[in-house]
Amino acid sequence: MQALLQLTIANIRSFVRDRAAMFWTLVFPLIFILMFGAIFTGGGTSTRVFAWVDGDGSAASAELRAAFAELDNVELRDATEAGGLDAMRQGDLRAVIVVPAGYGAAVAAAARAPGPPVAITVYTDPTQQNQSADTFRFVQTVLGRINLEVSGRGPAVVPEARAVQTESLTFISYLVPSILGMSLMQLGVFAAIPLVADREKLILKRLSATPLRRWQLVGSNVLMRLLIGIVQTLIIVTVGALAFDVQISGNVLLVAALVVLGSLSFISLGYVIASFARTEDAANGMTSVVQFPLMFLSGTFFPIDEMPEVLRGIARVLPLTYLSDALRQVMVGGTPFSPLWLDFAVLGLFLAICFAISARFFRWT
Amino acid sequence: MTVAAPAARETGLAIRVHNLRKQYGETRAVDGISFEVRSGEVFGLLGPNGAGKTTTVEILEGLRAADSGEAMVLGIDANRNPETLKPRIGVALQTASLYPKLTVTEVLDLFRSFYGRRGHSTGELIERFDLTEKRTSQTRELSGGQRQRLVVALALVNDPELVFLDEPTTGLDPAARRSLWEVVLDLKRQGRTILLTTHYMEEAEVLCDRLAIMDHGRFLESGTVKELVGRHFQERAVRFDRIHGLADASLAAIDGVVSVAHENGEVVLYTRDVPRAIDGLLAAAGAAGTEPENLTIRRPTLEDVFLALTGRALRD
Ligand SMILES: Nc1ncnc2c1ncn2[C@@H]1O[C@H](COP(=O)(O)OP(=O)(O)O)[C@@H](O)[C@H]1O
Ligand SMILES: [Mg+2]
Repeated sequence: MQALLQLTIANIRSFVRDRAAMFWTLVFPLIFILMFGAIFTGGGTSTRVFAWVDGDGSAASAELRAAFAELDNVELRDATEAGGLDAMRQGDLRAVIVVPAGYGAAVAAAARAPGPPVAITVYTDPTQQNQSADTFRFVQTVLGRINLEVSGRGPAVVPEARAVQTESLTFISYLVPSILGMSLMQLGVFAAIPLVADREKLILKRLSATPLRRWQLVGSNVLMRLLIGIVQTLIIVTVGALAFDVQISGNVLLVAALVVLGSLSFISLGYVIASFARTEDAANGMTSVVQFPLMFLSGTFFPIDEMPEVLRGIARVLPLTYLSDALRQVMVGGTPFSPLWLDFAVLGLFLAICFAISARFFRWT
Repeated sequence: MTVAAPAARETGLAIRVHNLRKQYGETRAVDGISFEVRSGEVFGLLGPNGAGKTTTVEILEGLRAADSGEAMVLGIDANRNPETLKPRIGVALQTASLYPKLTVTEVLDLFRSFYGRRGHSTGELIERFDLTEKRTSQTRELSGGQRQRLVVALALVNDPELVFLDEPTTGLDPAARRSLWEVVLDLKRQGRTILLTTHYMEEAEVLCDRLAIMDHGRFLESGTVKELVGRHFQERAVRFDRIHGLADASLAAIDGVVSVAHENGEVVLYTRDVPRAIDGLLAAAGAAGTEPENLTIRRPTLEDVFLALTGRALRD
């Protein structure tokens, strides 16, 4: 136990003192997130796009529409309730506002004598907490003014919140789990390089002349990468949340399970590479050959459904596709590419295959 | 500080090797060698590159499996039970094999943890091996001599009764080599058993109680330095620069010359009667119209033993 712990610490020290490793695992993913985040969320004037469903068709409802429309940074699209909700589910809108039939009459009545308030239905996606809150603040501002004009007494018009599960994500909330998947993949695949270097420098041979057991050696390696994977996850999730409002809506335990399973799978892929790379240079080359297709063809930057047919076929056999898909599903409620259980099963199978190959071909000297 | 010898030493044999063999393809790296090393003894394997020294040592360390033969180390079969053996021995591989980005202190601490932290403290080892100034340096920043001292220090973290040192001074400058000899002599004074390989004759002469001369996987000769030199040489060595037109055959025919060898452009005549051999040499050279240059007379060393046994120099 003592040996395992000390070796893990030694591995972490070597890792932290390796600038290239630090860059690839900690800085590189953040560059992606910050770069894409800045491009895709910056300076939008029409970020508040609402569907406007007028069920009343009165002068009062037209007046309400005008009160919304005259504010800055808002775009209203007239729609039916069903049409608006569809558009919202696809991610084209932030909210759907429904003015009920009888709105005009109710407001007129309220101006004469106080009665029960009339409700404006506002559909938002509560998993997008900040956006949802912003929408309600905005609606309240407008309704507050209307209420003052109407009676000056109790509220005549109130918003009624309804939840809609939007299926399509904003680009940045698509990207954050993808980048996390990509980072865990790199962290695992890059395990090959120090491993081959240690073998080339005969460090593995020197260790095998001590009472240290091989499971301790492998265990410390895996433990170190898992710890770094957790740190990576925390950093990426925190930056996503603070800089771009990407909220993690899912089950934390499920996220943790995916981080662990994903890390283990790709670490074992790293061991497969180390089984066939003789020199550190060869290991460097092989990790590049493996990591770039994984990075670009696993739906990291845009959904697999939007890729050409040929590439979609490739994506379907890449393990990172399933890790990132599962992370998106669990973390931000992304549209499933494959069912969650299948994602887990594919990763588990991939881990088993890589483990078997390494067990068969890995050489210590 | 003193590094005390482990209290309870087995009396008798530390290593018993019998008819050991190891083959790589067509290469017989170790070709049926047998020897014994007594407890508290420094035993040397002396031979040129490719002689089979490392293969032999690594079989005894439990790192390689022999094809056949017996390799008993501290009473443990190194082939069958390497894991029982490993906690009890100290190993310095031929290549340094250090974590480049860990400091001296960190590497020593790490290796101590593999043995449950028994034996010497890291501080003691650092002081003993003269690494105090470098204790916070990463190992890649060490000089060759410092690296080798650290490598030997790592072989001692578990206070082992038996230490294997595979070419500990190869590639070091003379000063660093002498400083490492001091370290080994100190271990010897503590009563540790040491199996050492080298291709430096002088090193073997200074450090080893007994040694074996190895070539092509076989032992050519073994014994104490005195025995080896004495067994082959009541002769003296007469050396001079090679003379063109003077064939070995005519040199060997000189009265009093026992044998002729070549080393680095020099001719070596072995003789029991130096004046008679030199007279003959001068006459033969005179007949060829020249005279020998850089003529020296030496008492034979292990170098000469190896030259006489193999017909070639140890260092090429
Ligand atoms: N792992 C190996 N695979 C193939 N050949 C080897 C291996 N190890 C040693 N040899 C060969 O065995 C011979 C002895 O090598 P070695 O024991 O390293 O000699 P030394 O240590 O005396 O220089 C050499 O010819 C070497 O090429
Ligand atoms: Mg060798």
